[in-house]
Amino acid sequence: MRRLFKKTPSNSYIKIETKGTKAQPEVPQGMWRKCNKCSAPIFSEDVKTGNYICPKCGGYFRVHARRRIEMLADGGSFEEWDEGLPVSNPLGLSGYPKKLSELREKTGLDEAVITGKMSMDGHETAVGVMDGRFIMGSMGKNVGEKIAGATERATALGLPLILFCCSGGARMQEGIVSLMQMAKTAAALKRHSDAGLLFISVLTDPTTGGVTASFAMLGDVILAEPGALIGFAGPRVIEQTIGQKLPEGFQRAEFLVEHGFVDAILPREKSREMLTRLLAFHEKADGRMEPEGRSCMQEAFKTKDGGLLEKADGQNGSGGEEIISAWERVKRSRKQGRLTGLDYIQEIFTDFTELHGDRAYGDDKAIVGGIAYFHGRPVTVIAQQKGRNTRENIERNFSMPSPEGYRKALRLMREAEKFGRPVFCFMDTPGAFCGMEAEERGQGEAIARNLFELSALKVPVLSVVIGEGGSGGALALAVADEVWMMENAVYSVLSPEGFASILWKDSKRADEAAEVMKITAKDLKDLGIVERVIPEAVPVGKKNAREICENLEVGFEEFLARYGKLSGEELTAHRYERFRNI
Amino acid sequence: MFDKVLIANRGEIAVRVIRACREMGIGTVAVYSEADSEALHTLLADEAICIGPAKSQDSYLNMERILSAAVAMGADAIHPGFGFLSENARFAELCSLCGMKFIGPDSQVIAKMGNKAEARNTMIKAGVPVVPGGETAVRTLKEARAAAEEVGYPVMIKAALGGGGKGMRTVQNPEELEAGFLNAQREAVKGFSDDTMYIERYVENPRHIEFQILADEHGNVIHLGERDCSVQRNHQKLIEEAPSATIPEELRREMGKMAVRAAKAVGYTNAGTVEFLVDKENRYYFIEMNTRIQVEHPVTEAVTGMDLIKAQLHIAAGEALNFTQEEVQLSGHAIECRINARMAGKLTNLQVPGGMGIRVDSAMYNGCMVPPYYDAMLLKLIVHGGDRAEALKKIQCALGELVIEGVETNLEEQYEIFTHPVYEAGPVDTGFIEKYFKE
Repeated sequence: MRRLFKKTPSNSYIKIETKGTKAQPEVPQGMWRKCNKCSAPIFSEDVKTGNYICPKCGGYFRVHARRRIEMLADGGSFEEWDEGLPVSNPLGLSGYPKKLSELREKTGLDEAVITGKMSMDGHETAVGVMDGRFIMGSMGKNVGEKIAGATERATALGLPLILFCCSGGARMQEGIVSLMQMAKTAAALKRHSDAGLLFISVLTDPTTGGVTASFAMLGDVILAEPGALIGFAGPRVIEQTIGQKLPEGFQRAEFLVEHGFVDAILPREKSREMLTRLLAFHEKADGRMEPEGRSCMQEAFKTKDGGLLEKADGQNGSGGEEIISAWERVKRSRKQGRLTGLDYIQEIFTDFTELHGDRAYGDDKAIVGGIAYFHGRPVTVIAQQKGRNTRENIERNFSMPSPEGYRKALRLMREAEKFGRPVFCFMDTPGAFCGMEAEERGQGEAIARNLFELSALKVPVLSVVIGEGGSGGALALAVADEVWMMENAVYSVLSPEGFASILWKDSKRADEAAEVMKITAKDLKDLGIVERVIPEAVPVGKKNAREICENLEVGFEEFLARYGKLSGEELTAHRYERFRNI
Repeated sequence: MFDKVLIANRGEIAVRVIRACREMGIGTVAVYSEADSEALHTLLADEAICIGPAKSQDSYLNMERILSAAVAMGADAIHPGFGFLSENARFAELCSLCGMKFIGPDSQVIAKMGNKAEARNTMIKAGVPVVPGGETAVRTLKEARAAAEEVGYPVMIKAALGGGGKGMRTVQNPEELEAGFLNAQREAVKGFSDDTMYIERYVENPRHIEFQILADEHGNVIHLGERDCSVQRNHQKLIEEAPSATIPEELRREMGKMAVRAAKAVGYTNAGTVEFLVDKENRYYFIEMNTRIQVEHPVTEAVTGMDLIKAQLHIAAGEALNFTQEEVQLSGHAIECRINARMAGKLTNLQVPGGMGIRVDSAMYNGCMVPPYYDAMLLKLIVHGGDRAEALKKIQCALGELVIEGVETNLEEQYEIFTHPVYEAGPVDTGFIEKYFKE
């Protein structure tokens, strides 16, 4: 067929007339570039306007330090610090100063980091941004100096600090002096932290070596750009050492989240929004915890609160309503379709920002935690999370936390303490996970540690049993100023089935066991184990979420009004007595 | 004039453009995907270059590949056809950055008219009537409700970047708004990655009347009369006629003037179409401007005797229009009907009608493949008669002669429409198909 058609008779007359008078079309220099991740040709303009992300494969390109600041800072708000430090060459290496001056010329930077202060959406912060073009962002004396200097200034000015890390590690050309920068920067950050200030570390591709092993991993919040290589030893070094090929995704940002070292992935297009939100969370907390706002404990308890507590009891017990058996409560507490921890969080709080990981081993999905606003006030929220279906349940391990879950909760509570945020916990677990791995990583130790540390946490803690309060697995989040229960929740040392099988060698007598165990909200209220029982609208489920949560919200307000006023000492004294008297 | 034109398209429109170029002595370069190596446009062009895998995203929509092909093959202009990159402002801009002539309007005009809200505002400023409402972008249900109240029910919900019926819903009353709005918005997000929606008064069962425009690069703008595209299913045109049987001469003149005014208001160049809705009281409203050659352009060619693709090439080469509005004379009546495939496969037998006033535009041949990846239009049948009645008879006869075997088509349904007494009796509105041809 191809040869059947005659081709266009060439019209040479026209050609002669027009040739030479017009330029032949060509692609202008620099209009295209090649993606170094997927090799596809892409328009340079798209890369610039698209946050330096490949429009084809979504891969992240490195961003020059000044451009990064432009992308984040309010226009004209950036004020640079410590510009133009004298060249440092502690080893007297020949050629090194020349290389530095060439790089200064080429990049327009004086070192591998720019520091200063800026504002984002009006929120002021100190900031440092590393630039990989400058000897792979390696840390020599001047980099250490600028970071430590910016940290000190931030401490003095009471400013939060955001560091964008991008580095191969210590700078070999400066020998042991560069090693010492790790200690110097870490020490400066310790003082910044002790001043109660926020440090957000943003890990970009690559963050390795001495930078990972110093300031990069010390953030109160650690964020990482998608796909960024993050590690101590570089992948090539590891492969040479162990003589094996590393698996796909090893040491990437997502791997770090999974292994508990990074709070969240920070997509570049959301950077400004996310960082601004985190700054705002921490600003408000500072303002609210004014020392003069605290009063003495006795005064706080003088006004006996009424309202909800009595109402709840009234609806629950008396009034001639049907008597619901303990076993029925157990069944209700386990029922699929009940509100889960995240349902409560979404309904009661705003701007919930989940933070992942225990900074030691992993991120346990059976426990979710993060920062949110409760009626405009920043709080830390932690919840045991059941799945809404089988797939989710498998992902959440049926809400049976592992040691890393409890350690994540503790880490978030300590952060709450540092920034003066009240803590709200929601318990809903059949129990702590019983498995080999859990034992290997110290399930018992993790629970014990939480009881130990929570008892002395210097911010208000309120824990609510929203479904199953399974033994030590629940208690690890419930050494609180008050413990409340939803009307259809249960809280026990052991499941009724377990109780029946241990005491009566017959797990089928679970219903009987439920009655004698005193595990319902009302029983526990009578025993003085819980302070409040929160009525639930029937049928309990998403449809009634607003109604159910309204009761809680009113209660939370009352709780904060009472405990928010107390000093850390008063709080821990009260908490001590609460358990001492049981 | 150009030496060599690259046709950034496939199917019958690519063939149509290649034919025009051949007649003008212009060299042609076809681009084709791996699925189209035996397609008619690939075979017919002087040169052909493969630009990637079957998926449009990787071939006919891949700007880098098409531009590099054009540069490598030494083309000096690109004809985008319709669909694919034809209304992509970015592509037009990149062409001009490379010194390659994009045969169509300026990229800024494409961008302006591609954004419904901006197009509307431009028309309001120019004094061209528009459908009430749609002033402000809405993103939430609450905003949508407020906007709908203001405009008055029934309302039409439209995606800002929408087209082809996607992201579009009509809502008769407040109760239907929530579902309609959310569904339309979901489609918009999926199809165009944008959740901006507009709400305007829904003009019930209007006629769809569009004016063909030609504008040169010297400020001359003329119109070539209207096309009536009221026979639609789900906002997709099925049949087009020129001229419209329902537009009185005076209204035609007035709307034509408005169409020219609309084109001038945006500094339009090359061929374009200004679309209007006309209600039962013959009030007309601008709805959008298509900044490309259209599928149904042959009906205008039939009644004006003008080759629109050649006109596009002349205009793009910088020539001035060599006739005036007064010299445009419409003669007779033309009807076009689109035959679409219902499935992919091998076309085993194709027998096309012929004779006086019968035109078939197609890229099909006996034994060719209909790939599953692209638009399903197989063939356009255009007839031209002395009046509507003659044209109607012609198309009935021609459709009766048309044989397509191997793939299922909509031929029978089209035939039924043409023989439907209501259609035969003449003018129908956009409610016609829904009323008489419920699926």
